[in-house]
Amino acid sequence: MKSITKREAWAGYLFASPWLLGFLVFMSYPLIASIYFSLCDYSVLKSPVWVGIDNYKMLMHDELFRTTLANTFLYAAIALPAGMATAIILAMLLNAKVKGMALYRTFFFIPSLVPQVSLAILWRWVLDGEHGVLNPVLAKIGIHGPNWLNDPLWAKPSLVLMAMWGVGNAMLIYLAGLQDVPTQLIEASELDGANGWQKTKHVTLPMISPVILFNGIMGIIGSLQVFTVPYIMFPGGAPVHSTYFYTEYLYDNAFRYHKMGYASAMGWIMFIVILVLTMLSLRMSEKHVHYQGS
Amino acid sequence: MKSQQQAVTVQKVLVQVALVVLSIAFLFPFAWLVLTALKPLNETMSMPIRWLPSKFMWGNFKDAAIYGHESLGYYPFLVYAVNTVIVCILIVAGTVASNSVVAYAFARLRWPGRDLAFGITLATMMVPFPVLMVPTFALFRHLDWIGTYRPLWVPAWFGSAFSIFLLRQFFRTIPFELTEAAKIDGASEWRIFRTIVLPLSKAALAVVALFSFMGAWNDFLGPLIYLLDQKTFTLSLGLQFYQSQNGGTSWNLLMAASSMVIAPVIILFFFTQRLFIQGIAITGLKG
Amino acid sequence: MDRSAFTIPCLALAVLGTLYASEQLTKSPPDDGKIHVKYWEKWTAFEFDAMKHVVDEFNKSQNKIRVDILSVSGIEDKTLMAVSGGIPPDVAGLYGPNVTQYADDHAVMQLDDMCREAGIKRDDYIAPYWDACVIRDHLYALPSTPATTALHYNRALFREVGLDPDKPPRTIDELNAMADKLTVIEKNGHVKRTGFMVTEPGWWNWAWGPFFGGKLWDGKGKITINSPENIKAFTWIQSFSKKYGASALSSFQNGFNNMFSSPQNPFMTGQTAMEIQGVWMYNFIQKFNPKLDWGAAPFPSASPDLQDPTVIDLDVLCIPKGAKHPKEAFEFLKFVESQKGLEMLCLGQKKITPLKKVSNGFIEHHPNPFIKLFIKLAYSKTAVSTPKLGIWSQYSDEINNAFSAVTLMTKTPKQALDDVANRMQPMLDKYMERLRVRGEQ
Repeated sequence: MKSITKREAWAGYLFASPWLLGFLVFMSYPLIASIYFSLCDYSVLKSPVWVGIDNYKMLMHDELFRTTLANTFLYAAIALPAGMATAIILAMLLNAKVKGMALYRTFFFIPSLVPQVSLAILWRWVLDGEHGVLNPVLAKIGIHGPNWLNDPLWAKPSLVLMAMWGVGNAMLIYLAGLQDVPTQLIEASELDGANGWQKTKHVTLPMISPVILFNGIMGIIGSLQVFTVPYIMFPGGAPVHSTYFYTEYLYDNAFRYHKMGYASAMGWIMFIVILVLTMLSLRMSEKHVHYQGS
Repeated sequence: MKSQQQAVTVQKVLVQVALVVLSIAFLFPFAWLVLTALKPLNETMSMPIRWLPSKFMWGNFKDAAIYGHESLGYYPFLVYAVNTVIVCILIVAGTVASNSVVAYAFARLRWPGRDLAFGITLATMMVPFPVLMVPTFALFRHLDWIGTYRPLWVPAWFGSAFSIFLLRQFFRTIPFELTEAAKIDGASEWRIFRTIVLPLSKAALAVVALFSFMGAWNDFLGPLIYLLDQKTFTLSLGLQFYQSQNGGTSWNLLMAASSMVIAPVIILFFFTQRLFIQGIAITGLKG
Repeated sequence: MDRSAFTIPCLALAVLGTLYASEQLTKSPPDDGKIHVKYWEKWTAFEFDAMKHVVDEFNKSQNKIRVDILSVSGIEDKTLMAVSGGIPPDVAGLYGPNVTQYADDHAVMQLDDMCREAGIKRDDYIAPYWDACVIRDHLYALPSTPATTALHYNRALFREVGLDPDKPPRTIDELNAMADKLTVIEKNGHVKRTGFMVTEPGWWNWAWGPFFGGKLWDGKGKITINSPENIKAFTWIQSFSKKYGASALSSFQNGFNNMFSSPQNPFMTGQTAMEIQGVWMYNFIQKFNPKLDWGAAPFPSASPDLQDPTVIDLDVLCIPKGAKHPKEAFEFLKFVESQKGLEMLCLGQKKITPLKKVSNGFIEHHPNPFIKLFIKLAYSKTAVSTPKLGIWSQYSDEINNAFSAVTLMTKTPKQALDDVANRMQPMLDKYMERLRVRGEQ
């Protein structure tokens, strides 16, 4: 190991400088400022007035804060596993060696390419309990479809359904992971007489476990920030706040109610929640994630 | 041996069937979108549902592209499409340019504090956008950037954790002997980066470009906060404007615009998907 | 030399070109020697056209100022962002209920002095419209197009079920009875037609309480949304869900979500026989179903001392803080606020005028056959306005949520309104305290 030369160190700083600068300006400044704002009464137009931990105290008593937090957790708790399962299953199908694969891959990826706003509009038509397209189809196979959009119980599941449909990115990453699983391993397990499920459980899944962890953490971060689709599909979190999510409430506080300080406090709480969840998943995964070569 | 071959064939058929069924499920709403784009307006909302248009209105596509009434605040979707493409180009270019340089520093150069900086970089992936929303807005306000595209694309030129991570993992797989030889010949780091590392990294760069494109393409919150003038709207925002009006919306044109916009992207993806999957596979997402 | 030596400069050039385009797109228009007044309006379509006409007249009337009107969606949020971003328009056409919030944030200018100089005064206006623009004794906006609401009913359907189309309901009890007669429910429980639709169009859910004599706050510091009168109103609202089934009604309603301005509007299609609507409804009937045989009448009263309830609904013009040309902007406001300007605008939008003085021509040329009724309603004693509270946007969101909980029967009226009161009271306390601290109360 050579010692670091001055020239190399300088080059290193120079090459890293865009990010170092970006980190200072677009990351650490906003983070620190947002701590400060969260301790202030701040409405953008007037300079912030220090109020101590008032905002946090009020959050503790804010029922809607709890509702949106619960909604968001509940949504993430269903959407994340459902989405991951969908993505893995699709990826495994796409990894099979059959004809027309390029076409299938494109098909499954299309929903991720449709602008989310169009998607939201489209799904309103599909799911509408009275005139939608889905319920007549369900009726044909003997299922009485619920009133997806107007029933506080079914509005969240309909969002989960939509999320399962837009797993293209994760699917690609899984697919890449699957293609990397050494064929010898699979052939070896076949020789041992393993069936499809056993192969999946004992060879494929452990081999792609790092990818699952990565996608899982990305999924936690993404699904806790859900905003666009519910914002468009369910204005005001209708029906009865059942689809009112954390980021929407934060946005409303900041830009509709002009309570920027309160919104900043909400943002920080979210950051801490995500941090804790990520640490937890990393800790819990230690035993289950298998790294190649280690 | 024969029975095993049979099993394999059965399995293949099953996979094929599953793929076809799922394809229909995934294509169905998209088909609905295209069919709606081809309907006359009064059939878009008719009840009970009309599956097929009574007459295929190919003219809708033309109308969606050019129909507009500027003084009424209606702009043709083409305007929104062009705006979106402009923003996407600036973001993708910035992401690829900045992150490849930064990732090079993290992957192949040694400098004091590098590993700490890399750890912090990874941690920033956990910072949710809403935390940054308020102060970033205040920051751009001070710069007088509200109402321009700058708040949307300038940050992309300063790196992002996800892309840095992806490219760093990839750059590390390039054999060090290749670059050491050049170094001994007296090549500068920039030259090594340009002539050796970059040309070997096309697949990884394509992945970074794709992911940043997808992000920019679907971004709604950013434009919602920073863009003010109707004529500068991106597609997401423009589409939302139309649907949020109390009815009277030309759903057919809206869907025609949506399908025109995604068609090129779908075709592009079809021809390049292998590259992406390879790119992801070689990069270090596996850990 | 390898190929990349050529591609990279090319790519760089392309990016630079895009950058140039992006800057051009967001640049302000070139200088033509005139002062350009930037004016943002919420309207689209024919309502926008009417204002555009007034703007054109103003631009023609002199040669120093040019007003550039622009239709902006989500104007109530966007204007604030623009003000805080330091690039506000010179004139903003906000909704009446926004004024307090904007005044609290000092986001719009006080107009008292300029109005005094120009001779624009309260005496000339129908009181509630002027008063909606006055926050804590200062004038922050001027009314542009005002409106009142009335019961709209389908005369053909009245005849069909044997009701006299010339005798619309006068009391809530009559309304309930007629609604029952007009409602059609299919055997499987599906709603085919509603006699009266309390959720349509759903724009004034806060107003039902005041229609029943309730108040939204006591004017000093107490939220009174859970007063007996308000609860009575919400009990009445829930009675429809109880009678016809909450989920049947909501899925019926869902079918014409977001279709106000379309031929699928349930009033145009005859899917609902009666609903509350504003003076503008005439235009939409004209546009989407001109053959509809309809009438308008004062909304039925909940008790004899609450005759002719109506919602005071208005659009306003204000000058945002930080506007580049406030003086010129006010010149334009002055032009609009003249009797000629307002009548041109309000006749163009086919609404009523906020001025007490109405020219004969206005009524004569007004195509709405019920225009006199709508003007008369503006003077009604049971005319209700939104409370002038800076926290109103949040308060009204809460009321809307309670309204949907009550119609979906997930809460009892009392429960729902108690929840709103419990939630809003601390916010009101904090709001009042902030005003006190700033010496603005």
